[in-house]
Amino acid sequence: MALTITFEMKDGVARVTLEGELDAGVAEQFRQVIENAAAQTPKRLVLFMDKLTFMASAGLRMLIYAKQKMGEGVDIYIIGAQHPVVRTLEMSGFHRSVYLKDTYEE
Amino acid sequence: MDAVMVAAARGAWCGLMKPLVVPGTLDSLGAIRAYVRETAQQAGIGQDAVYDLTLAVEEFATNAITHGYQEHGLSGDITVSAEQNDVEFIIRLEDTAPAFDPRTLAMPNEEDLAKPLEERGIGGLGVYLSVKVLDRFDYQRAGNRNCLTLAMNRASGTR
Repeated sequence: MALTITFEMKDGVARVTLEGELDAGVAEQFRQVIENAAAQTPKRLVLFMDKLTFMASAGLRMLIYAKQKMGEGVDIYIIGAQHPVVRTLEMSGFHRSVYLKDTYEE
Repeated sequence: MDAVMVAAARGAWCGLMKPLVVPGTLDSLGAIRAYVRETAQQAGIGQDAVYDLTLAVEEFATNAITHGYQEHGLSGDITVSAEQNDVEFIIRLEDTAPAFDPRTLAMPNEEDLAKPLEERGIGGLGVYLSVKVLDRFDYQRAGNRNCLTLAMNRASGTR
């Protein structure tokens, strides 16, 4: 299953929805979206992951890239991530650097 | 069940374990994941353990493709096979890239993992995660092939 990404800027918040499987082969698509989003200097990055069924370390590297590209002050929210993806984030210590939420409230 | 039916059942089981040979490119990762999921599920491995094993195979296959083949300007296949015994369900990954033992890769330590993302390096996470989720991991160079053994205990496989 491939990766489908949608991106919109709304009230200064970059909202990105990831659907499918995020592996090293498709991470470049995600990197380009992050780059586009960063160019619009968002105050926050919100990643909707409820339909993301698989995430390899390539996805983790993209989160690092997003933080480093957008800057320390831009908080990253991960919304609705499935249990195995949350475990991967926890094992790599990323849960301490992002906000993991079930739903996003504006 | 008579002897013929037993043999047929065994044959069907072995058929599910037929190796997968794919080109060593990142486009093949989806097919590799599908093979691991299918064979692990057939072996009765639990859902979380299937995901973990799929993740580990994915990470090592990605390494073989990018560091083994692409960075050396080489092309070749990745062979994935599955087997089981009373104790373990095992995936073997083989490639023909130059010898490379992933056990020698630098991995993040506790201090690295506690760092905020803005201070993180990007290397070693894949192998770190893989080694953490696997019950056993081994590397051998056999002739011109890198052979990785990635195993899950079938008892812990009920996770």
